[in-house]
Amino acid sequence: MKAKTTLTAAVVTVAISLLTGPVVVAQDALPQADNAWMTGADAELQKRLAMQPNTNRAKNVVIMIADGNGVGTNYATRLFHGQTLGNFGDENVLPKESLPHLALVKTYNVNAQTPDSAGTATAMLAGVKTKAGMIGVDETVSRGDCSTVEAGKVTSINQLMSEAGKSTAIITTARLTHATPAAGYAHAADRDFEDDSTLPEGCEVPDIASQLISAMESGMVDIAMGGGRRHFVPDDVEDEDGKAGRRTDGRNLIEEAKALGAQYVFDAESFAAVDLSKEGPVLGLFESSHMKYENDRTDEPSLAEMVEASITAMQGNENGFFLEVEAGRVDHANHGSNLHRAMTDGVAFAEAVQKVIDMTSNEDTLLIVTADHEHAIAFNGYCGRGTPITGLCYGIDGDGIAHNGVEQLADDGQPYTVVGYLNGGGSILKKEKVAAEMMIEAEIVSEAADDTTGEQVAEASTDATVSTSDAIQAHGDRLVEDLLAQLDVTTEVDEDSGESSSYRWIGSRGPLTQEEATDPDYIQQAMIPRGSETHSGEDVAAYASGPFAHLISGTIEQNYLFNVMRYAATGE
Amino acid sequence: MSRVMTKASRRQFLIRSGAVAVGLFAGGANAAGSARIKLRDLYNKDLSFSDFALAADGQRVAVTGYMAPPLKAQSQFFVLTKRPMATCPFCNDGDEWPDDLLAVYARRIVDVQPFNAGIIASGTLELGDYKDPDTGFFSRVRLVNATFKRD
Repeated sequence: MKAKTTLTAAVVTVAISLLTGPVVVAQDALPQADNAWMTGADAELQKRLAMQPNTNRAKNVVIMIADGNGVGTNYATRLFHGQTLGNFGDENVLPKESLPHLALVKTYNVNAQTPDSAGTATAMLAGVKTKAGMIGVDETVSRGDCSTVEAGKVTSINQLMSEAGKSTAIITTARLTHATPAAGYAHAADRDFEDDSTLPEGCEVPDIASQLISAMESGMVDIAMGGGRRHFVPDDVEDEDGKAGRRTDGRNLIEEAKALGAQYVFDAESFAAVDLSKEGPVLGLFESSHMKYENDRTDEPSLAEMVEASITAMQGNENGFFLEVEAGRVDHANHGSNLHRAMTDGVAFAEAVQKVIDMTSNEDTLLIVTADHEHAIAFNGYCGRGTPITGLCYGIDGDGIAHNGVEQLADDGQPYTVVGYLNGGGSILKKEKVAAEMMIEAEIVSEAADDTTGEQVAEASTDATVSTSDAIQAHGDRLVEDLLAQLDVTTEVDEDSGESSSYRWIGSRGPLTQEEATDPDYIQQAMIPRGSETHSGEDVAAYASGPFAHLISGTIEQNYLFNVMRYAATGE
Repeated sequence: MSRVMTKASRRQFLIRSGAVAVGLFAGGANAAGSARIKLRDLYNKDLSFSDFALAADGQRVAVTGYMAPPLKAQSQFFVLTKRPMATCPFCNDGDEWPDDLLAVYARRIVDVQPFNAGIIASGTLELGDYKDPDTGFFSRVRLVNATFKRD
């Protein structure tokens, strides 16, 4: 029966090929022609064949940055999001992944193979790569040197957009004075100059928080919402949460913003009550420091809610708007090697992206969704479909699709998670004290096992200034030193007390259950011990839709995104 | 067994010796007994005390976490945090303080643990504001008369 069908199909194919040529032959001849993968891909092909470049002028420009959300972290978020929706995860499509255009982005800073968020934000929002730690200045500035800032200032996209008559908003879950949002409105020789208390003596460049208020006064920034209240309030004033400010110049920037006519919101209730139709700026400061992780969020708006409020407030401007959105804490959770919170903040970012897609039109809005840099995140194998992305790796089922439910074991006999970090607080190496007993054992064993005695060494010595007993002692010390070095024992002396202590960085992996590994507080295992896991220099992706989004393709330098936004909006 | 140790067997012997020493060092305290809870079990999302914490006030509990690098040496006091902290989070004003933490007052001078080693601290839960007269450390919740061991 099967053979007959095949034969019939082949005859039909030959007949069609006479009429239409060999392309159709190949397609119809394929035994997998009706396979869902094949038909799905064909639909995708047809969609792309029909695509035309959108060369409309961009009335609105939106750039959305998930901090520390490179290609690897994004892969994990895709699976996590899919698994929360009840599928295996791999097949899931994040909202940004439905955008038609994509580029890989090179993220390094001019002086850093591994970038930081200040340098990368300046690249995206002001169009030039600069040094790590720099906000809104070019590479001629030395880090921390305020005297070089004025000559090194670069113009931000916020400024260009506001000069073009657009409303502008900066939304973040980090502090508003943190690196990524700051590059939209500030110039600083160091990202840490968030308020006046951290400025070096004699620095004449205003701190970052005060630059935000100046930007609101000038109209460069209309809406700013995020965390970081402490940088706006004097150190003798307590904020709404009873936490003291950090400013030492006595200025209360929240009061100054109110005096400019700004609506100030600080919790879920005041956020809900803000009048979005009212003229004048909106300042939202929902936490003393960063806003909460999505996993822990209470009494403050979500990133998507802040996006919705911002677009609602700005969409009445006939000249359009510029919106910068940062999911600031994917980065922080990665730094903490706590994948669960990186994922839940990644999903909150995805919801914010969906909100922008829902509230804007491809016809007049350029949307770019990207990250500033990646982390030292890494992925183990070989895991079956549906393995929880934050949890232990299950095996592949050769007879089916879903994983086989068998925890995969490493050569140490222990299971392992899909995701680990190359460095971080989850390191299996721990700084363990070496007990005095072990040091004594080392001495006994070393000397007992040595073929040469101290006396022989002393007799062979030609140095008359060294006594026999000293030579024996020195020989013993050398043996112990060699042995301890083989065991990676290091001795350090406390500078204050003068006491010495010996330690080794050692460790092994203990048992781990799936329940423990998928706990929201679980810290992923790492190799190299570091209190804070690091960024990496790996590429990130930039997804885009709308006017001139087709210019975002290939492998690009990060600062190129600025040129595309500017061109799409202004033609320059 | 030969009396002469090869280089390899010397290493193994030393590693075993080290393992024993580390084992003694880690197992010296008695933290067994009470059910293990996590720091988050003491707090609601808004950082008010949970029903569990209110009910366990004055009771012995065992809490898992990490020992933050101590404020000062040779102290009976340390701070238990949810996540490993490589540097003392309370020593500089500029550093971030974790929101949810637990002050621990141990029975004996604390043997400082590696920052990334999980521990279980066991002691009597004490709710209420308290300012440590020695360190000035302000706490809303503490474990007192506590012991700890490696997790």
